[in-house]
Amino acid sequence: MTVVPAQQTGGGGSSGLYDVLELVLDRGLVIDAFVRVSLVGIEILKIDVRVVVASVDTYLRFAEACNRLDLEAGPRKSPGLPDMVGELTESGARGKSKGALSGAAETISDAFKQARGEGEGEAESRPRPRKTTAARRKEEQE
Amino acid sequence: MSTYVYAITASSHPALPEGMGGVGEPPLPVRILKEGDLAAIVSDAPEGLRPKRRDLLAHQNVLAEAGAAGSLLPMRFGSVATDDASVTGVLAERVEHYKERLRALDGKVEYNVKATHVEEAVLHRVMAESPELRALAEANRKAGGGSYDDKIRLGEMVAAAVKAKEGEDAAEVQRALAPATDAVSVGPESTGWLVNVSFLVDRGSAEEFLAAVERARKSLAHLELRVNGPLPPYSFVEPGPAEPAGTTAGADAGAE
Repeated sequence: MTVVPAQQTGGGGSSGLYDVLELVLDRGLVIDAFVRVSLVGIEILKIDVRVVVASVDTYLRFAEACNRLDLEAGPRKSPGLPDMVGELTESGARGKSKGALSGAAETISDAFKQARGEGEGEAESRPRPRKTTAARRKEEQE
Repeated sequence: MSTYVYAITASSHPALPEGMGGVGEPPLPVRILKEGDLAAIVSDAPEGLRPKRRDLLAHQNVLAEAGAAGSLLPMRFGSVATDDASVTGVLAERVEHYKERLRALDGKVEYNVKATHVEEAVLHRVMAESPELRALAEANRKAGGGSYDDKIRLGEMVAAAVKAKEGEDAAEVQRALAPATDAVSVGPESTGWLVNVSFLVDRGSAEEFLAAVERARKSLAHLELRVNGPLPPYSFVEPGPAEPAGTTAGADAGAE
């Protein structure tokens, strides 16, 4: 099970770091009399995070996943039966090690790496259309 | 020279991080500007400041250091005043407001929780709940995976079911964790997570809150919960909808 340390101040693991920096950038006190630095580079990062559900890539991937899923799960059962819950919980725990839905975690870390790259160089480098992980995966399949 | 502002705090704060490294390369030293009962934690502002990782971290580290020792109002990253005098001017002008916020947030920290679905587990769950989806998946499998259109149809329905589940689970996470907290602030939505919510937690209740997180991890096993904290109260510096103005100051001081 992937557990992000609950006690964390000031950076550490990469996804935890991203999660905290999102707060540093988006929340906190804003005072009209002060100016704020341009966040151009960061807007890109946010757009990159928006990848999943409504796309053909996602549909195809889900369809494939459902195929594999039923084979692994064996004979299907009616929903709502008590033993179903047990099985779901079990497989849920197994699933934990496989990462989050739709490679979102992957994408976040990609986006973060990109932000870091741009950060060390020039934060406001041109927004360029980036392919999502799913899009790349699809291309590989074709 | 313009002035970078990290936070506003009380001038009586017991461990102001004077001299600590702040933003800039090399890091500019943190200074303290006092104005009556209030103090601003500042440094010189570097030329051409941008939201670089190093500077974001420096900002966060100064706040974490100062926040561990006493109540403060964290500024959003990148707040720059024309000079020191304009910072103390703002402190003087809004002294009562900031003092009230510092009192309201005294002894409290923010925990941010983000959740994502564990793909395999959530697919199990939506399939288990929908005979229609199972029938469709089975038909596809029998047809050797199904045609492109079949796959799209199944995938689209599964995606819709997962999307609906996101909404349910977001509410569920909030319901599971809110009781141990003083206030809740829902962060911006994104498909990078299905829940992005911050909780204001009394330091004395932190253990209780983290225990609730562990319970939620067990009962919502198809979710991955990422918890970050204790953090300075970024999401609670101004009274929001979840925390109407005037209800927090002192009111819950003895409640925990």
